[in-house]
Amino acid sequence: MTKILAIAKREFRSYFNSPIAYIAITVFLVITGVLFFVQGKFFEQNEASLRVLFQWVPVLFLAYIPAISMRLLSEEKRSGTIELLVTMPVTDWQIIWGKYLAGLAFLAVSLVMTLHFPLIVIANGSPDIGPIIGGYVGLFLIGALYLAVGLMSSTWTRNQINAFIISLMICGFFYFVGDFLAGPPPQGRSRLLYLLLVNFKAVFEYTSFKYHFHNIERGVIDTRNLVYFGTVVAFCLVVSAQSLAARKWRG
Amino acid sequence: MIKVDNLVKYYDTFQALKNVSFTVNKGEILGFLGPNGAGKTTCMKILTGYMPPTSGSASINGMDIRDDSLTVRQILGYLPESTPLYTDMMVGEFLAYVAAIREIPDGDVKARITEVAKTCDLKAFINKSIGQLSKGQRQRVGLAQAMIHRPQYLVLDEPTSGLDPNQIIEIRELIRELGKDRTIILSTHNLPEVRATCNKMLIIHEGKIVLHGSPEELEEQHRQAPRVIVKIASGNGELKKTDVRKKLDQSTAFTRVVEKDDEGNGVFSFEIEGQKGEGDLRRVMFQYVVAQNWVLLEMRQQEMNIENIFRQLTK
Repeated sequence: MTKILAIAKREFRSYFNSPIAYIAITVFLVITGVLFFVQGKFFEQNEASLRVLFQWVPVLFLAYIPAISMRLLSEEKRSGTIELLVTMPVTDWQIIWGKYLAGLAFLAVSLVMTLHFPLIVIANGSPDIGPIIGGYVGLFLIGALYLAVGLMSSTWTRNQINAFIISLMICGFFYFVGDFLAGPPPQGRSRLLYLLLVNFKAVFEYTSFKYHFHNIERGVIDTRNLVYFGTVVAFCLVVSAQSLAARKWRG
Repeated sequence: MIKVDNLVKYYDTFQALKNVSFTVNKGEILGFLGPNGAGKTTCMKILTGYMPPTSGSASINGMDIRDDSLTVRQILGYLPESTPLYTDMMVGEFLAYVAAIREIPDGDVKARITEVAKTCDLKAFINKSIGQLSKGQRQRVGLAQAMIHRPQYLVLDEPTSGLDPNQIIEIRELIRELGKDRTIILSTHNLPEVRATCNKMLIIHEGKIVLHGSPEELEEQHRQAPRVIVKIASGNGELKKTDVRKKLDQSTAFTRVVEKDDEGNGVFSFEIEGQKGEGDLRRVMFQYVVAQNWVLLEMRQQEMNIENIFRQLTK
């Protein structure tokens, strides 16, 4: 455990040694601010709501989380420090957990920095606290989910941009696939994709990130959602650890 | 003791190691020599647990590098090739991180960092960012991280590359000092370094060990017929190179005569090989030149040193 924490601590600190973290967090706060005040019609309706935030942050996360996770392993691969790390007495699992924890910590910090929105809402009325907490837990879980995908992508390449694009595509697919299949078959190029995927509609509906997030957004978290999140995260971490160990298979 | 037994490593279809076997005993410093791409780094990567061999085995302190990988990595210090480091960290911060992963007790960490900072001469830049360091300074940080847990076994891939001559001497002294009660494998391109620091050497070429022994032994084994390089000029009057050559060829004392580039002005250069075990060739040469009434402007003995052995074996 001390080793996991040592890795996590180093990784978390190195976020703040690079400008990317500051840029990402600034952009994130600006966009959430716009969503809350403008899109949420805060000034016109004279009424504050977090609905817009809970609805759009998961979409924003599609780009934000891959930006956080892209460097986790690809940077070690690019700079060669991976050799230093894996020849120290740590297991591949300790490395993966250390990296994942660092990402989670950064995610948590990002969410904490948006807490002024619920505070404004509370100051302006007497909303139900339950859905607010539920919404935040939901955001954290969906962030944690993307992060696991992002970490996995990061183990596949030594190029951060590739890691970013791969995780963006995977997360985007699983986010939108449910809506895509729920509607009628579209015209044009995506029609073929629709017809192909619609055969597995039930599977994709169930694996869609949005499907599971919708429950949580309403402040409802049931065991099925938790099992789903747990399963996907575990799957991604197992693949990450295996991918890290892949250097041992070759030859 | 480090024991390597029949290591074979394939990268796809390329065979990087071909049945490599050797042992290194406690208190020995093994110098790993070979041209680029000979398999030195591959062998070190296998020993340190970075990647497994295709076949064969290796053990360190009696523990198999694959079955007891974690324990082996605990007692081993490793400086990878080209010294990868976290460039965004401070030197002290980085060493503290390595100490934490190496599970050095919190109370000892400071003292250990001071210790390695002293041995590797890092004090001046302990609070600097690694990204700002020169290549030599980074190299010393790399060495420091490899030693912070006082390992009994050290594997150093080109430890003196990028250092200036003064630092090279310091690091060599350090390695010699460490080697007294430890087991060290180091790789290098620098041949005098092997003589200066190592008590065993191993030349690897195209994945095969072509030579293994102590530097002195090897030089002794490869001692060949004596050879001198001479510069001859005329004593008085005209002298042609072809005439000198003819005379030298006729003499039974010299088994082989090779013409070298002349410096002009009637000064002729030759490389001359004498007979094995016929005493000092220089003496014979001198007397011969005098007898011919020539003048000997220069004479240099060619020794079979590690450089020559290396070039001969890896050509």
